[in-house]
Formats: sequence, structure tokens, C-alpha cells
Amino acid sequence: MTDRLTRNWLLLIALILATTGLATQDGGIAAAGLLALAWAKSRAILGGFLHLDRAPEWLSAFLVPLGLWLALVWGLAAVR
Amino acid sequence: MDLDDLPGELIMWILIGSEILVFAAGITAMSAMRLTDPAGFADAQAMLDGRMAALNTVVLVTSGLFAARAERAAHAGNRRGARRNLMLATLGGVIFLVAKGLEYAHDLSTEIGIDTHPFFTFYFLLTGFHAAHVIAGVAVLALVAVRVRPEPVQAGAMFWHMVDLIWVLILPPIYLLM
Repeated sequence: MTDRLTRNWLLLIALILATTGLATQDGGIAAAGLLALAWAKSRAILGGFLHLDRAPEWLSAFLVPLGLWLALVWGLAAVR
Repeated sequence: MDLDDLPGELIMWILIGSEILVFAAGITAMSAMRLTDPAGFADAQAMLDGRMAALNTVVLVTSGLFAARAERAAHAGNRRGARRNLMLATLGGVIFLVAKGLEYAHDLSTEIGIDTHPFFTFYFLLTGFHAAHVIAGVAVLALVAVRVRPEPVQAGAMFWHMVDLIWVLILPPIYLLM
């Protein structure tokens, strides 16, 4: 039995491991995956550690702009 | 959407939002600058050793867990538990800084410098500015551990989670996106 904070930490560790595995891959899809994992880690920190899970509208107010910015970073990285 | 729904002090959320914007601007500028020399940026980025950065991510999120536990313990009136977790979170910050120092030492030993290539200018500025936040966070966590009270511990934990959040956002563009 683990508490909510420990489960959030375990989720973050799993996302880090996924990032480490995906980092060995090249290409636009891998880059999109790495940025999606960064977004998921941000969501875990904002929601689980900074308690925005209790304020879903505020969580979205952070996550939507972050997602758009990460998409911009992906677009800039995709230009050869 | 009400300001009262935000957990913790509003000023901490203003700080978190501002810091995200500052680092996002830096990463965006680096990504835009890369368009002028994609091959040079890729070659420069390939000189970095991402293993220490990956290790540091584990260290920071684990430290974040201890900060969150300290906050919970402080709110429950468990001052001893809060202090112990604050010390563990602080230790995580110190380990992060030692690993970052070793990474910088390795970089400099391979003739990587801030003016070697524009990529390294961004690399040292962004990771160095982040490390400065880690130093500040370590000081804040140690300070609130001296006299444990719920509100300061919550503010210290929020600052620490912000440091954690920024690290997971700047890591892929700096180390991973070739």
C-alpha cells in the first residue's frame, strides 16, 4: 500500500525511465515523445506535488500553455 | 476559476509562472538560434554527457517527494517528521549540485566553454541559472527547517517543486532533442 505522494513519485520515476529509453532514438516522432514525456512529468509535479489536482481549472491553465510551448519547441527542432 | 482555489500563497504561483516564462523564453531563443546552424548545434549537443542529467532528474524528483512529505508532516503538526524530510530534500539538492559540478568539470576538461559555440552559451546560461535556483532552494529548505511552521514549509516546498518542474522542462531541449 503506497500513499498518494509516493505513487506520484513512482509515476515520475517511470516517466524518467521512459525518457531514458526513448532518448536513444532519433527522429521527429522520438522528439515528440520526449516532449510529451516532459509534459507528463510537468503534469505530475503540478498536480501531485503542487496540489493542482485539487484545482483542475488552474492545472489546465498551466498545462495547456506548456503543451503549446512544447509543440513550438518540437516544431523548431524538426526544421532541418 | 478562482484565485482562492490555488493552494498555497498567490505570490508563490506568480513566482512559478514567471520562472517558467523566463526559462521558456531562453529555450525558445536557443531553439530559434539553432535554425541558423542545425549541424553545429547537433555536433555541440552531442558533446554533452546526458547520463549525469538523467541521474540528476531522479535526484530532483526524489528530493521533491521529501519536500512534499515535509509539507504534509508540517500541516499534520509533525514537526520532527517535517524537519527530517526537509533535511532529506536539502540533501537531494546538494547531491544535484555536486553532480552538476562534476558535469561542468567534465565539460571544461573537454575544452567546452561558454563561448565555444552558441549552443554552449545557452547551455551554461540556462543550466547555470537553474543551478542558482537549486542553491537558493537548498538555502530556503534549510531555513524553513530551523523553525518548522506549516506556511513557510509549504512555501519552501513550492519553491522546490518549481525548481524540479523547470528542470524536467529544460532537460529535453538541452540534452535530448538532436
